[in-house]
Amino acid sequence: MLDELKNEFASLVPVPLIETDYRFKGYHLDVEVGPDQVVAAAELLDRRGFFLEAITGVDWLGKAPLSNQPEVEAGEAGEGGGAGKAEAATAPPTDKMEVVYDYNRTVGELCRVAVRCRLDRANPELPTVSRLIPGANWHERETHDFFGIIFSGHPDLSPLLLPEDADFHPLRKDFKA
Amino acid sequence: MNDLARSQNQETFVLNLGPQHPATHGVLRVKLTMDGEYVVHAEPVLGYVHRMHEKMGENRTWAQFMPNTARLDYLGALSYNHGYVKVVEQAMGIEVPERAEYLRVITVELNRIASHLLWYGAFVLDLGGFTPLLYAFDDREHVLDLLESVTGSRLTFCYFRFGGLYNDVDDNFVGGARAFIKRLRRRLPDYHNLVTKNIILIKRLKDVGVLSAEMCRKYGATGPVLRGSGVDYDVRRNEPYSVYPELDFEVPVYGEGDSMARYMVRMDEIEQCMRIVEQALDKLPEGPVVAEKVPKILKPPPGDYYSAVEAARGTFGIRIVSDGTNTPYRMKLRSPTFSNLSLFGEASRGMLLPDALALMGSLDLVIPEIDR
Amino acid sequence: MGKESLQSAIIRFAPLDKLLDLGRANSLWPMTFGLACCAIEMMATGAARFDLARFGAEVFRPSPRQCDVMIVAGTISKKMAPAVQTLYDQMPEPKWVIAMGNCAISGGPFVFEGQYGIVEGADKLFPVDVFIPGCPPRPEALIEGILELEEKVTGHRRWPRVEAV
Repeated sequence: MLDELKNEFASLVPVPLIETDYRFKGYHLDVEVGPDQVVAAAELLDRRGFFLEAITGVDWLGKAPLSNQPEVEAGEAGEGGGAGKAEAATAPPTDKMEVVYDYNRTVGELCRVAVRCRLDRANPELPTVSRLIPGANWHERETHDFFGIIFSGHPDLSPLLLPEDADFHPLRKDFKA
Repeated sequence: MNDLARSQNQETFVLNLGPQHPATHGVLRVKLTMDGEYVVHAEPVLGYVHRMHEKMGENRTWAQFMPNTARLDYLGALSYNHGYVKVVEQAMGIEVPERAEYLRVITVELNRIASHLLWYGAFVLDLGGFTPLLYAFDDREHVLDLLESVTGSRLTFCYFRFGGLYNDVDDNFVGGARAFIKRLRRRLPDYHNLVTKNIILIKRLKDVGVLSAEMCRKYGATGPVLRGSGVDYDVRRNEPYSVYPELDFEVPVYGEGDSMARYMVRMDEIEQCMRIVEQALDKLPEGPVVAEKVPKILKPPPGDYYSAVEAARGTFGIRIVSDGTNTPYRMKLRSPTFSNLSLFGEASRGMLLPDALALMGSLDLVIPEIDR
Repeated sequence: MGKESLQSAIIRFAPLDKLLDLGRANSLWPMTFGLACCAIEMMATGAARFDLARFGAEVFRPSPRQCDVMIVAGTISKKMAPAVQTLYDQMPEPKWVIAMGNCAISGGPFVFEGQYGIVEGADKLFPVDVFIPGCPPRPEALIEGILELEEKVTGHRRWPRVEAV
């Protein structure tokens, strides 16, 4: 099942998806996709009976996003070696905004998939998956509240948890009250 | 129901339910577009008790965040304690002594009983019956006494520590837990006789608020809501953690998907919780309750980690991002009721208002957990 | 003249007020109004074991227009603050406010540098009569708070004060 999923993803994304050590990381597959593939990834997982557990933003202001991608030189550590992956990626700091989709499923073999998408911090925009997965609606609204990430095509991005007139994004690292 | 509204020449009105309304269990607000007594459109408005937990996570050390977990879902605080310590232990590779794991399960399950009892009282109160609340609170107080004797608090428990527990239990606790289970076994039939078999309750709940399994999946609903829709999924069994694999329990599943099914799932879960507690008490090993090698200052290796536990209301997921310092870089709390409530808008369409409130009650909402 | 015949109690409002105060103090009607965790302890206070009815304050009213004491039980967020203010304004005089729990007193555990979401204490919005510390306060503490309020209303305490040992 995992392999099937990997194959399907392989046709979708150029970067290799990573099989992570579940006992260490808490999820099985880590997929990095571009903003234009977010919906396709959701479609693929939805077809396979997955449900969306959460959507999260991470603000990597002035930091290199931590990555599970094996470094070229560290490649010999191999996959699934859990502890070996602890090293942070040493890419130069680029202001990025990350959105992480956590998928899980209730039937069949346990498989948690984290789909992540890195965006330019200056212009964080990616398409919504709420048309496909209605449950994503609130999660996306919340992420918009906290990070100001714009989910284009979302029916209503008005503040969900913050006051109606809120124009700040408190979980951005440069937020000052 | 759109055609319903159209047939009435769009003579709808907006009804504002909350944020201060007894049926919303706190400060939830629902903007209802009504056609007479029928709900045309329901839009929950959240955030009235947004307490910045995720921001606070980035402002304090790993250990300092512990008390926050108790204030997220104050009815099932220990499940949240568990979820948080679990993800940090997982990242740090801390081994928890067996006795501590057993005690975690015992206290979490007792807490789950307390949570379900409170839900039972409040739910029947929503439907117009006051007395069951008094019964439920009476029994709940016994659980709280037990938990207070070991944790030191009645509601917002902060009992778990990274690698173990705050303190060990004594014989009084073990005896008290057994006595409580004996007592609740005697009381549960009363609950069923008084309430479950009550014709008024049955008429209010049966075939009301039917949620299909597919709808639950699309909205990410978990916990008793999902199990009431016939999906056999429980994190404790499907994604075993702690010592749950060593304990024998069933996951109650009802296929009807109506409010009654969700009611029955929770009532049956109380019984299963008692089974778990009993077995865990029997198997409770001797030994330390805190792991020996837990660093004073925690610095999980850089990376992100995810972990989920079965809280009283469903899957509580927590995603932490560590940058290798002593404060979390990002802490995402995935609360079950947030997803469970998100289906309310679609599910309540075309329902009578009192039925919609019965549906809302059967979702078992804890607002601070939704708003975080 | 007929001074003696005019001395009847009808003219003298002070004793009447005293009587009214006694009545008010012994039948406080709190508002069913839970904001967060403390509300559960408030429910527990009203329920079987702690039985707030013993002190005449068990008639929880969902409408502010029927209440005379507002128990602010929980965190007031900035989004909620206007609603809380409205509820307070809707209550008829005479009215009292009990701030239950640390959040209602000062923002409690949710105050930190750079906080953006909560009101740091109910007294930022309206006058508070009794503060009950705790996170959340025990039901006994809430009962003590109600007795404290009774004392404030009538000027004397109905029940013996429990001294800490």
